[in-house]
Formats: sequence, structure tokens, C-alpha cells
Amino acid sequence: MKSEQAKRSFLYVSFFYLLIFAVWQMLFSAGLIPDYLFPSPVQVGKRLWELGSDDYLLPSVKATLVRMAMGFSIAAAIGLGIGLLMGTSPIMNSCLKSLFLGLQTLPTAAWVPISLLLFGLSEQGIYFVIIMSSTPAVAIATSAGILHIPPLYLRAARTLGTRWYAMPVRVILPAALPAIMTGLKLGWTFGWHGAVSAELIKSTVGLGFLLNMGREMNDASQVIGIMLVTILFGLLLDRFLFGVIERRIRIRWGLEKKE
Amino acid sequence: MNASVSKSTGQSAAPRAVKLRLANVSKTFQNGTQTVEALAPLELEVKEGEYVVFFGPSGCGKSTLLNLIAGFEAPSTGEITLEGKPITRPGRDRLMMFQEHALFPWLSVIKNVMYGLKNEPQFRFRPRKQREAARSWLRMVHLEEFETALIHELSGGMKQRVALARALAPDPKVLLIDEPFPALDALVRGKLYGDLQDILTRTGKTIISVTHDSREAACLGDRVVVFTPRPGRIKKEIHVGLARPRDINDPKVAEHAGRIMAELEGQPDEKRTG
Repeated sequence: MKSEQAKRSFLYVSFFYLLIFAVWQMLFSAGLIPDYLFPSPVQVGKRLWELGSDDYLLPSVKATLVRMAMGFSIAAAIGLGIGLLMGTSPIMNSCLKSLFLGLQTLPTAAWVPISLLLFGLSEQGIYFVIIMSSTPAVAIATSAGILHIPPLYLRAARTLGTRWYAMPVRVILPAALPAIMTGLKLGWTFGWHGAVSAELIKSTVGLGFLLNMGREMNDASQVIGIMLVTILFGLLLDRFLFGVIERRIRIRWGLEKKE
Repeated sequence: MNASVSKSTGQSAAPRAVKLRLANVSKTFQNGTQTVEALAPLELEVKEGEYVVFFGPSGCGKSTLLNLIAGFEAPSTGEITLEGKPITRPGRDRLMMFQEHALFPWLSVIKNVMYGLKNEPQFRFRPRKQREAARSWLRMVHLEEFETALIHELSGGMKQRVALARALAPDPKVLLIDEPFPALDALVRGKLYGDLQDILTRTGKTIISVTHDSREAACLGDRVVVFTPRPGRIKKEIHVGLARPRDINDPKVAEHAGRIMAELEGQPDEKRTG
């Protein structure tokens, strides 16, 4: 099953995290910074437990994930469509490429003020930020993936009788799928940034909301705790959802070997 | 003028119908301000069930000619007709096997073979029929045990055999083969030559392949069309009347290969077209 090397690296990684917590605890015990600014791991854990049992944590995790699931699905659909257009039309590509690259360089939090102006303190505003944050990455990766399809596939498909209107579904998207998957993963990450940024300001539930609530109550334990939860979910989804799908695709396409 | 209507030697069956006719076909490419003549005007006929090999050095336009027949490019002059109908674009009636296998990695072996069938009227929306047909083609190339395998799991020779099955499955009128064998080792090639001849005798397919290997030309072709380089023109057509299946290592095949080679290299160019 797991190779010897994987087992060993798992040990190293566990040790690394234990070390981080140990150093953190030691710094706290040294008492150099007051504990309301710099809580111990135990205090953070306790605060998270309280948030959990007061029914704050789970609804917020759920709210952020649901927003992401909806917003990201829309973003993925738009990004795929635009990417397909860019990948198949050179004119579209030259026009839209710089625009989307530019939008991608914009920090996701920069979408929050304009979404406040446009949508006020509403749920749509959060969706807006998620969509604007993740669409460019998906579109760029899709178009790049399509432009790198070996022309031979397209010729083979044409001789085998595939008409132009069937090309996207039968050849172009499947051939570009490994690249598209990488783009979706990146888009999800940007969307996640955007979602939490937007929730900071305009929400009554969600991870961003809990972060801001922690700040308003001067509760460093809560702020750090929610940051950890946000990291944890980001990591879990990246590794165990998108990572697994991406790897499966790459193995099937022969771009990566099975272990 | 040259040899286009020569009688087929070997089999003394009834005269076979003309499948493919190339009349005054030429190709020039515009390279910046320069005009490059890739193919001088030529005449050629390919008969039903015939295996024709285009043979010549690289740059003689033989692959260009194959692309014209496939419909990827249009000839600069002249017309190519398949069963009397002019060729204007690529189509399933002239399937091409490429130098690289061009199989789709996102599909399993059998799904690759089924790919072209999905566009065939009698198979459309009938996955079970498609699968059965694909399976029988895989059997023909001795890969029936690999139908669920992924493309990257196959060896080079197996990939080319899947590509062959995929090209044959939609039952093209003409099978075009663009040097699909040089990347393989001698042993694998020998087997592929055997498979190809086996399919030829079983299905009576009309096949045109392109090669710069005189042995391959002599082993596979009923007729070998020898091309000269730049601009490509037909120098000579040689009939190989040996019985099938032919073995690539047969001395008689080697003898014909020698004749073909000599034709290309030595002798004065007395058979100019145009």
C-alpha cells in the first residue's frame, strides 16, 4: 500500500506540526506578549470548542462552503465558456487575454468595495466577489489548455467525422481537461480568498464574519482559531477534492504515473 | 500520361473499378514572396481493393499528396474524385492513420475504436452495436483483451494497431496511412505488416500508404508509385506481383525493394509528367 518513503514523510510532517505547536506554547509561556494579544494553542482550541458548542462554527463553515459551491459553479461555467471562446478564436484570445490577466492580478479583496457599491450588504455581493475572483483563472487556464492541444487530435477527430459543433464536447474540452482542472483548482483558491474577504464586511454568518466578530470583541483566540479553520478547509479541499481529481485525470491522460 | 491506366499484374481477376482518380493534380505553397512547387501536375488512378504505396525521399510531396486525398488541403490545380465525387473536405470515407498514433488518451481502447462509429448513421445512438463492431475490429488486430486499457498503458506497436482498428471501424472507402511504422522496432513492424495484409485480404480495402522504406513498399504494395523530389512528380510505377501474405524478410521482397530503390536513384528521368 503506502510506500516506505510516504510513511517516513508522514512522520516528518507530523513532527513538524508538533514542533510548531510546541514553539507556540513555549513563546506563550515565556509571557513576552500579553495573552489577550497572543493566546496559547490551548486557548485557541478552547475558543473554537466554545464557538462550536454555541452553534456558531458549523453554520458558518457551512455558509461559506455553500456560497463557494454556488459562486464557484457559476464562475467555472462562465470561465469555461470564455476560455473555450478564447481558445478557439484567435481574435477573442488577443482581445481578452490581457484583460483577464489584468483581472487576475487584482487582489481579490479589491472586489469588495465595488460589490458593496453595487449590491449593498447583501448575499449577492458575496457571490459577485467570488465569481469575479475565480473566473479569470479558469478562463485563462482553459484557453491556454486548448491552445496547447496537439493539432493531431483535431485532425484525427475531423477525419473521423466530428463536425465543428461537436468538437468542444468530443475533443477540445477532454483534450484540455488536465489544464482546465489546474485552472479550476486555482480558481477555487482565488474564490475562497474572495469569499472570506467579502464575508468580513457584509455578512452575519460565515468564516469571514467570525473573523471580524473576533476582532470586534478583541478576541485573538477566535481570530487565530478561525484562521486555522479557514486554512484547514482550504487545504482539505485543495488536497482531497481538487488534488485527487486532478491527479486522476493526469494519470488517465498518461501525464503522470501511478505510484 | 504515365502509367495511370496500366493494367494490374498479379491477380488476373476481372478488371476492378477505379476508386480514386487524380486528374492534373498539383500543389504549390506560398512561402512569403516565394512560391514553392511541392507537387507537379500528376495523373493517377487507384483501383478498388488495390494497395498503392507512395514511395520517395523526404520532401518529394508524397505526404502532401496524401493530405490532398484526405481533404486536409485543396489541390492548386486539378481534381481528386472518389467514386466519381470530388473531394472537398476531410471525411470518414477516407480515413487517415497518422505517423503518430493520434489516439485520444481520455478514452479507453474500445472507446477510441468506437469514436468514429458514433458519426455513422447505422450506428448513431446505438452504443451496443458500436461496441460489438469495435470489438470485432479489435479482434482483427489481436487486441481484444485490451479493450478497457488506457492508451498510455499500451506499447508503441499496440497503439498503432488500435489506430488501425479505429481507422477501419467506420468502413472507409480508402484507408490512408502516413508512415505509421518507422517509429517501431523491426519485430513489431513485421507483425504489423502481417496484420495489414491480413486485413487487406479479408476486407478487400483500398489502401494508400506513404513510406521512404523500399522494403516496406515492396512488402505491402500491389503497386509502388516512385516519386522524385522537389517538385514531386511520379517517376515510375512498379507492380509487385508477389502472392500475399508477404514476409518482409523474403528474398523476393528484397529483390523488388532493390528494383524500387534503383528506380529512385540511378536511372535517367525519362518519364516526366506535364
